[in-house]
Amino acid sequence: MRLTQLSEAFIRSAAYERRFLHKNPWDLTMVVWIPLLTVLLIWWIFSQTQITNLPIGVIDQDNGPVANTAVRYLDASPTLSVRQMYYSAAEAEAAILQRDIYAVVIIPEDFSRNILSSKSAPLILQVNAQYGTHSGIIQTGVQAVAGTLSAGVEIQRLIKQGMAPSQAAIAYSPISIQRISLFNAATDYQQFLASTVIPALLHILAMVIGATTIGRELRDKQLGHWYGFIASAQAYDNLNGSISANISDSANISGNVNNNVADNTVQNIAALSQPAAKLPNSTAKDNTNQKPVSTLPSVHMGVLLFGLLGKYFWPMLAYGLWSILALWLATPQESVASSAVFATYLGLLLLMMLSFWLGAIFTLGSFSLRMGLSATGFISAPSYAFAGVTFPYIAISDSAKHWSDALPLTHYLKLHIAQMQMQAPVAISLPILYGLAIATVVAMMLTALLTKRALAHPERWGAR
Amino acid sequence: MPPLSTDHNAKVTQPQPPVQGFFASFFQTLTDVFKDKGIVLMLIIAPIIYGFFYPWPYSSEVVNHVPVGIVDKDNSDLSRTIVRYASASPQLDTRRFLDEQSAKEAIWADEIAGYMVLPSGLEQNVLSGKAASVSVLGNGGYFLLNKNVQMGFLKAVSTVSAGVKIKKSVAQGAYAPTAAQNAQAVPLQIVPLYNQTEGYGAYVVPAVSIIILQQTLLMATAMLIGTWYEQRRHQTSISGWLGRITALSTLSFLIGCFYYGWAFELHHYPRGQNMLGSLLFLLLFCPTVATLGCLLGLWFRQRERSMQILIFSSLPMFFVSGYPWPADQLPTFLQIVRWFIPTTPAINTSVQLNQMGASISQVATGFYALAALWALYFALLVWLRWYNAPKRRQVS
Repeated sequence: MRLTQLSEAFIRSAAYERRFLHKNPWDLTMVVWIPLLTVLLIWWIFSQTQITNLPIGVIDQDNGPVANTAVRYLDASPTLSVRQMYYSAAEAEAAILQRDIYAVVIIPEDFSRNILSSKSAPLILQVNAQYGTHSGIIQTGVQAVAGTLSAGVEIQRLIKQGMAPSQAAIAYSPISIQRISLFNAATDYQQFLASTVIPALLHILAMVIGATTIGRELRDKQLGHWYGFIASAQAYDNLNGSISANISDSANISGNVNNNVADNTVQNIAALSQPAAKLPNSTAKDNTNQKPVSTLPSVHMGVLLFGLLGKYFWPMLAYGLWSILALWLATPQESVASSAVFATYLGLLLLMMLSFWLGAIFTLGSFSLRMGLSATGFISAPSYAFAGVTFPYIAISDSAKHWSDALPLTHYLKLHIAQMQMQAPVAISLPILYGLAIATVVAMMLTALLTKRALAHPERWGAR
Repeated sequence: MPPLSTDHNAKVTQPQPPVQGFFASFFQTLTDVFKDKGIVLMLIIAPIIYGFFYPWPYSSEVVNHVPVGIVDKDNSDLSRTIVRYASASPQLDTRRFLDEQSAKEAIWADEIAGYMVLPSGLEQNVLSGKAASVSVLGNGGYFLLNKNVQMGFLKAVSTVSAGVKIKKSVAQGAYAPTAAQNAQAVPLQIVPLYNQTEGYGAYVVPAVSIIILQQTLLMATAMLIGTWYEQRRHQTSISGWLGRITALSTLSFLIGCFYYGWAFELHHYPRGQNMLGSLLFLLLFCPTVATLGCLLGLWFRQRERSMQILIFSSLPMFFVSGYPWPADQLPTFLQIVRWFIPTTPAINTSVQLNQMGASISQVATGFYALAALWALYFALLVWLRWYNAPKRRQVS
């Protein structure tokens, strides 16, 4: 009996929410379509996985053959493209200020002469370091060209001195370095940025949904109505009616709030006592043996918990589905063990649920949808910056590390990168999964408790 | 439907008299902003808090002492020399590992960011003039760290390598200073311009500040207009709209000055290279964003919806702005669509003026783009006003 009561609370709450979403295209879009579009948009933004052909300029004050070779090498580098030759520093600086180019390579006057006389012949790279991404890639590219030139010059020199070419290469660099990027070997930005930005955005959206789903009941003063509906079997028959009453209320929100405040309270009381009585054009049948639903005196925690689960059932379904899409996109061509993908998916699901509850907690805690959303924005929107992906966690200042550690996204992304990119054994990431699971359960309990508190304070409903 | 429509009629027949004039509307807007703590929080308090909060993780600016591992399989004088040089590097913080497996596990556990393997027989190969190589394994998952690991080890190894070369040249009869000079025939001198310390915060925060300014102003404006819509107070004359936009952008302009004059100063970011230009930019940017906010408010028609829709949009807007990710790498369609967002010209223009010190004529494109956006948004606003007007008369 108890069990059926709980499952009925779940089913009724889900049905209530389905009706609401069906009638409110804005909310439906937020729950279902915006997350899908976000996943696809981010993937699309980074669809060109490598940065190529960044425009640079060259000032060639030497014009010798080696200098010409240098310009050719620079242009041939996949990451660089020599946009233009400049003849004065002022011209080049203006081009950098206008962002026509992001760097200028200066080949000094005596470049060729120094090389011929076996002196060191430096190249000068002036790079716009304000544009960090561009600057980093250009520095690496030009450095590589300088290395190639050096090797060519020196090996040539050694051969002239009568050394065999193979020997010359070794003598040039007695200890060579093999640079190996262990994971994400191709420095693929889609893998690096897109696959981590998507969970960050889903986290933000899920917190917004979490705040909205319960927050609109508070704002529209429908929380008691909702609980009454999920808790009493009689109300089930009047599903159509009660929901449409609720809809008309929401429509009024976009109407005149000033008048509405009084209205709403009246309606609300009416709704509480007899949900079906004021149905505008209820398809429902006879409401004659309708009993008044009194909600406030006894709130059953189990019913409340299952009701909340039912209320968040559709968002969970949608975000669960799009999470599969996100991970499918993020799975690199190289084989990732299915256990790793599964663990990551589990982590992402937990992150989504935790985000729903966190959004709800901030809203219920402040009794205001607006405050809940403000807190959500404050916490979730910059969380990617604190998560230690673009700026390494190791380098984050010590005080900020505490904040970073408190954010669920940080932990999820650690798991994500370890499993999806570094091919770590699943066991290494299990603590993160446990942690997320515990946090989710605690947050869910807290949400239920706060909902109970909110039900006990109808005088605070309706805050904007 | 009858109950609903009577309800609706009742509201329209007794609307609050809309304020029409420019100045009346200007002061009405200011009064409403300061009476509404939700809007004060979003428009004024939030950007001030963000001015401290967002740069927080980057306060150390440059990544140093990255923990790395070394697996020394050679255990010779040469390999020990390389280890010594690597541990002396300020970029690295080295730890020894017995084998590659334990080093790899340390990477998975996030204890180190990469490691170097010195193979057995290294010294012997070098001494006998055979090809010898060491491997540096970085974690490609983290770009910035990987660069540090590679560069740190590269410097250590090439210093030792150059030492070996010089010894050999000298042995072959070369004069030592000449040999030392020859370490690399074409060295590269890198001169970082503008952000001379190459700090990460100095790179990212000035751009993100513009996003923060835009998002808070958009949300606050749309929230205000949405609230007025609920109260049926959203209609006004054209000069009334101008008054509203002026009021909101004045407040946002002051916040912009807070960023330019104080937040950047506090964190020692490059700033104020062209202050007059920067202020002119704000004078154009704030009204553009405020006008877009009015449009969104009329579209959302509900107080809280601006936050629901806009909170998540900051990151995608940042990525299509062309600042963190070169714009010509974007799909062609996005390259066009992105110009409908104010931050697209605004981030680059602001950074060029304030951080790099470009002249106004050098950022003319940005100014034209912002002016065009403002004109577009305002035209839409006027059109919406005209489009909604007949309907309103019909109902009443």
